[in-house]
This record gives sequence, structure tokens and C-alpha cells, in this order.
Amino acid sequence: MDALKRGLRAVFLRIEAALEAVFGARHNPLTQLGTLGWFLFWIVTVSGIYVYIFFDTGVTQAWESLDRLSREQWYLGGLMRSLHRYASDALVLVVLVHALREFAMDRMRGNRWFPWVTGIPLLWFLYACGITGYWLVWDQLAQYVAVATTEWLDSIGIFAEPIARNFLDSERLSGRFFTLIIYMHIALPLLMLLAMWIHIQRHAHARVNPPRTLAVGTLGALVALSFAWPAMSQAPADLDRAPFSLGLDWFYLAVYPLLERMHGSTLWLLLIGGSVLLTLLPWLPPLKKAPVAKVDLANCNGCRRCFADCPFGAITMIGRTDGLAYEQEASVDPDMCMSCGICVGACPTATPFRRVGHLSAGIELPDRSMSGLREEVAAAAARLSGDARVIVFGCSHDADSDRLADASTAVVRLPCVGMLPPPFIDLVVMRHQADGVLLSGCAGHDCFERLGDQWTEQRIANERDPNLRARVPRDRVAVAWNNPIRHGALRETLTQFRAHLRGLAAAGGAKPAPAASPAAWRARLRELPVAARYTGQGLVYALVVGFVGFFATQPAYTYLAEDHALLKLSFSHAGQPLKPCRRYTHEELTNTKFSERSATSCERGRWPVYVELDLNGEPIYRATHDPAGLWNDGPSAVYARFEVPAGRHRLDARLRDNGADQGFTFTASRMVELQPGTNFVVDFRATDGGFAFGLPAQDTARQEEAP
Amino acid sequence: MTLVKWQANFRIGIEEVDHEHQDLINLINSLHDALGEERSGERVEAFLGEILADISSHFALEEKVMRDRHYDVLAEHKADHERLLDELRDLMDAQAEGAVLDDKRFAAQLAQWFTGHFQTHDARFHRHLTR
Repeated sequence: MDALKRGLRAVFLRIEAALEAVFGARHNPLTQLGTLGWFLFWIVTVSGIYVYIFFDTGVTQAWESLDRLSREQWYLGGLMRSLHRYASDALVLVVLVHALREFAMDRMRGNRWFPWVTGIPLLWFLYACGITGYWLVWDQLAQYVAVATTEWLDSIGIFAEPIARNFLDSERLSGRFFTLIIYMHIALPLLMLLAMWIHIQRHAHARVNPPRTLAVGTLGALVALSFAWPAMSQAPADLDRAPFSLGLDWFYLAVYPLLERMHGSTLWLLLIGGSVLLTLLPWLPPLKKAPVAKVDLANCNGCRRCFADCPFGAITMIGRTDGLAYEQEASVDPDMCMSCGICVGACPTATPFRRVGHLSAGIELPDRSMSGLREEVAAAAARLSGDARVIVFGCSHDADSDRLADASTAVVRLPCVGMLPPPFIDLVVMRHQADGVLLSGCAGHDCFERLGDQWTEQRIANERDPNLRARVPRDRVAVAWNNPIRHGALRETLTQFRAHLRGLAAAGGAKPAPAASPAAWRARLRELPVAARYTGQGLVYALVVGFVGFFATQPAYTYLAEDHALLKLSFSHAGQPLKPCRRYTHEELTNTKFSERSATSCERGRWPVYVELDLNGEPIYRATHDPAGLWNDGPSAVYARFEVPAGRHRLDARLRDNGADQGFTFTASRMVELQPGTNFVVDFRATDGGFAFGLPAQDTARQEEAP
Repeated sequence: MTLVKWQANFRIGIEEVDHEHQDLINLINSLHDALGEERSGERVEAFLGEILADISSHFALEEKVMRDRHYDVLAEHKADHERLLDELRDLMDAQAEGAVLDDKRFAAQLAQWFTGHFQTHDARFHRHLTR
């Protein structure tokens, strides 16, 4: 598992490094997959509402209303319809890559299981939304989706009568079932939104909006795709014919072709088993948990800064428990704490200037105490020599800051840079423990602990408490947020920073002019020219929407071989009662209370129905169907589908419903002429005299009695 | 010698803040007593460091209380906090670089911080609360 993760991570980091060069760290699409998902969801919602205004909800009018919208109102209605489709497809892509990336980056184990586990029902919601959506168009694809989905649901065996019979042929098409699907297509996204909200519950300051340029770029690319390749309906549905070839949306329907290769229940088992496996993934293997943050009440006055900064909502402010006059104290939920230490960096008592007694902050990581950190920094500073000494504070996921250590560079590692309380920077710089401080963390806006880089920058820029005291010259405090594989960029930053520090020294130690901005110093790393960056961005957008547009309908899926027809054997028939009803005798009736009397005694329970179907004398179906219902008194339902070569065939159907060992209650034979693509139903209606072959409209089948 | 004396009009009416104000004054006085006559640079530094930590956390609490009560001039009040902390840090650095801590001047400075800050800024907050 670990090797798989590391392999995937290496791939992701390389792609991300390339994308960062083109988009910049803040707008890197791969670090914004979650927010892009939310954005796409809103595009789908808005465009869906618009299309719904013009959508005729009748099963026979649906196709025409959408087709008219696409043709007559191509500039807006057609656009909205295309956006609805392509944004949904892009959503699948974004969600799957998002999940894969969180897995690769190992951001789903230990206490981070919650967003992962709540994301799995979201996948099911997403697919259910997409599948019901394709149903509503009522074109050939919708017909396929309707038939395949209902057949697939029937394989679970929970419906008394196969729901696929709602879509058996044009005569039996159920408008009500279609209406149900419309309601589902509205209700499911609402439930999905609720699930999305739950998904991000454990993230304080959860990001749900992508940066504006990325949002504009994404929408623009989807609009371009929509005009270049508008989403259109396929031919209108005709249940009496089976489609040969379909433009399948592979984002939503990729598993459907499997239904032709395996039993529906096997596919259910695979998908449910897969989901269970995914759900268990955060514990495969369990994360070796670092000790969680601990509040030291003697140093906590309930100022709430740790609470405000915790990226995982692990801290709550509770009523004071030690009797002191304070109103509140911080309390850590060990099941939510990730041991990142960002709370320690926020604590106003975490200052290395304290010397009386033991240095302990109001909140501490047992593994990484503030007193230990102070000693480590002092020891590291003491070893430094040279004219531009730098102490690097690196995080455990940065670009190998350890490798920077040399005679004039000391490296101090923390779980997250956000753990470093600003007074430590103050001490190092103002007491000349080093000439400069370099903070090295994860790629910008992709902090492993979510907010470490943001809080650090804001504390230095005097935008967030505890801030770095204004008197600390900012040109001696550098930040470097780097993709972990970009050690070279980190080294280059250090080289430039050192040159800068030498420049300061050469300026004669004269008081530096106050910086124009209180922000931290950063290196000027080589960047692609602007033209190349925009070209690169355009290329990336084109590639992604090209991918989305292509797999939204291509490659075509062959449902039925060209010269074949579909033969369906389906009916619902109640077997004969196990025992015939009998009239109560007069004696029995007189012995029964008046209020409980009835004329006949009928035992519940029916015989199973045994069915045979032969094609040209060859048996193609032999099955016994048990009656439905808890008391075995319901009808037996039959549903079977065969692909047969077009042409003239002899069909022999036989049925036994009386529990006899042999012989048949009903038999029928027909010669039929099946045109290619015909959907031919063999039905059975005892009241109409038994088996019925095809619809009256299928005269072209030229049926005749077989001799 | 008592560096700073608690005065009744320091009270602002919020228990935890008043409690910390008194604590702070006690702390400053007791730390100062513990310094004694023989003051090595290290001991003075420790004394000041402790005051810095306590004042920092006290200000953090006070700002929280003000934010909770929608204090309209919080920004101004906070700026004064920052000024006090900066001055204290200046003093610490000067001391670390060899300046001798002059008791009288330091006492006067602390007294000025406290009385000055209490009487103008904290009193204003007190009025905000009782309005």
C-alpha cells in the first residue's frame, strides 16, 4: 500500500510541479480539486434549473422539448444543456482525481478518515444523479439506461415484479416511473449537497470556492466546449426497437457494458465490496498516531487563539474546570487532532523569552515541547559560523530542507511551519542568533496541515495574531513554499536570501529603511514568460475539456450486433393455488362465530411457474419461478432477454403452473420474422388465452402459427 | 519595593480581565522582589521575559473579550497593546545589549504603561460595557 502511495505521489508531484510553473502555486488546479468540485456542482445546478424550465416532463414529450431547446435556443438553452452535461462529466473527473490525490498524499488516514469516508457515499450520489439525468432525455441512450438500470436493479431481487417491465415495450411504457425518475433527479442532488456539507464539516475554514481566475478559466473552457460540440440527444427512444450502437457517457456509464458480461448481482457485489474496501482504506494500515496537543491550564487563560487557528476543528472552548477566574479554557478532541502543532504557534505564552521556571505554552505537543525547541534553536545557532548565518525552520513535508544544513545553515524541523510561534523568529533575529530566518513548507496553498502556510504568512504580515512584532525587520525573514520534489527551488531561495543578507551587512548595519510591506522576504525564482504561461494554461484547459468532451459520447458502445434482434420473454403470472378453495360445510359454519364466518376456505400459497422457451427447436430458456410475497401467494415474474440473429425463427413456449411433474398448462408455437434491431416480446396473459407474441404493431414480423 | 500598585479604578467589570490585571501587577511585583539587589543580566532578562509572556497572553484575552462585546475602538486599543509590547521588547533588547536596568526608570515606565493604558483605554472599554 505504501509503495503504491509513494508511486502515485511521485506522479502527482511531478504533474503538479509542471502545472505550478504554468498556473502559479495559488491557482494550481491539482491543489484546488475540492473547490473545483464545488464550483462544477454549482454550474450543474444553475444550468439544470434553466433546462428544467423548458423541459416537458411527459415521457412522450421529453425528447422533443429538449431537442427544440437545443436547436431553437442554441445560444442559451443549448449552451445550458451542454454545460449541464459537460460540467457533470468534469465533476466526475475532478472527484475521482481528488480522491486519488488525497490517497496518494496520504491525507486520509488516522484522524483524517472523516472526509474520506463521507466522500464515498458522495460517489454513489454523484453516479445516481448522472444516471437519472441521462434517463430524462428519453433518447436511445436513455432507453438503454432505463432498460439496463432496471434490469440491474431487478437482479437484487427485492422487487415483487421486475421493474424492467416498465420499459418492456411501447405498450407498457410507464409514464409514472418516468416521473419518479424526474423527482429523483431533483432530490438526489439536494441530498448530495447535504452530504457535501457533511464532507467538509471537520475542516475549519473549508475552501469551497476556487480562486477567481481558475473559476473563470474553467467556466470559459466548458462554454467553449459547449459551443464547439453541443450536447445533443440521440435518436428518440423507441421501446419496440433496440439500439445497435450508442454514444455512451463513459464518465457515468462505464460500468454498464459489464452488465452484458456478468450477472447484475455480481456487479452489485463488486461495487459494494469496492466501496467497503475504500471505506476501510484509512485504516489499511492504521496510522501510527503522534501524541495529540495537550492544554496546560496553568498557562491557558482562554484567549481562543488556538481555537481560531486549528485547521481541523479539534479545539473547543469549554467552561473553566480549574476554578480560576477565567471564563473559558481550550480543550483538545483527541479524535480530531492531527498533532500538527499549529495551535502551539498561535499560543501567546509560547515565547522563548520566558526564563523563570520551565517554559511551557498553554497548549503543547508532547513530542515537540517549546522548551525543547528553544534549546534546539540555541544549540543550532551556536554551531553557526560565517557572515550570513541562516536558521531554516522546515516542516516534515517540505522539499528536503535537511539537505540545506552546512556550516552557516542550521535546519530545525517541525511537524508544520505553522507550529513556530513568531516570538521564536523575534528571538533569533533580534538577538542575532542568526542573520536571517528561512521558513520552508509545503507548496503554497497545499499545506499538508491545510492552513500552516497561510497562518504563517499572515502572522508575519501583521494580519493575524500572534503577529511577528513589527520591530523585527522583515527582510531577515524569508518564506519558501515548495512542492516537495523541488529541492532545487528551495536551495536557490536560500542562496538568494544569503546574498540578500550579505547585502544588508554591507549596507553597514545602518538601520534598514522600513519595508514597504510587512510581508516576508521571498526569492525571485525563474518563471516562465507570461506568454508561455498563458499558452500553457490554454493547453491544459483544452486538453481537459477535450478529454471530457470526447469521453462524454465516445467511443461508441455496441449494444446489439448489426444483424441481430432482441427477444424478450417477460410476463407476470400467478401459479395455481396449492389447494383449491372449498366451501365451508354447513356444520363448520354453524360452529363458527357469526362475525368470523366466510363462504370459502382458501389456503394461501401458489405453485411455482415453470417456463420453457425454444428457438428453432433449441432450448434457450428453462426456469422455475417461485411466487412472490411473504406467503408465496403472489404472481411469479419472468424476465429474460436474448440476442438472436435477425430472420425467420420458430418459437415454442410452454408453461406449467399447477405443480405437476410433467405436462404443460399452456403451450404455443409461432413462426416469426425478426427484423434487425427489433425488440420482440413474448408475453403471457392467461386471461387472453396464453402466450402472446409481439405487439400488433409489429406486423412486419409476419407472424404465423407454427405447424 | 512595590513597582506598581493596584488601584480600584483599574477595575473594568469583567471578572477574568480584572483578575488578570491584579495577577499581572502581583507578578511584576513579586518577580521584581525576587530579583533582589544582586541582579545579573540573566536574571533581569528572565524577569522581563516573564512579564512579556504574561502581558502577551493577557492582551490576547482582553482582545478576545473586546471582540466578543463588539468593542467599537478595538483597533485603537489593540494598537496600544502592540505599542506596549514593542516598548517592552525594546527595553529587553537594550538590556541584553548591556544597558543597565534602572529600577526607578523601569518602575516609572511600568507605572506609566499601566496607569496610562488602564486609565485611558481600559476605562474607555469599561464605559463601553456599562453604556
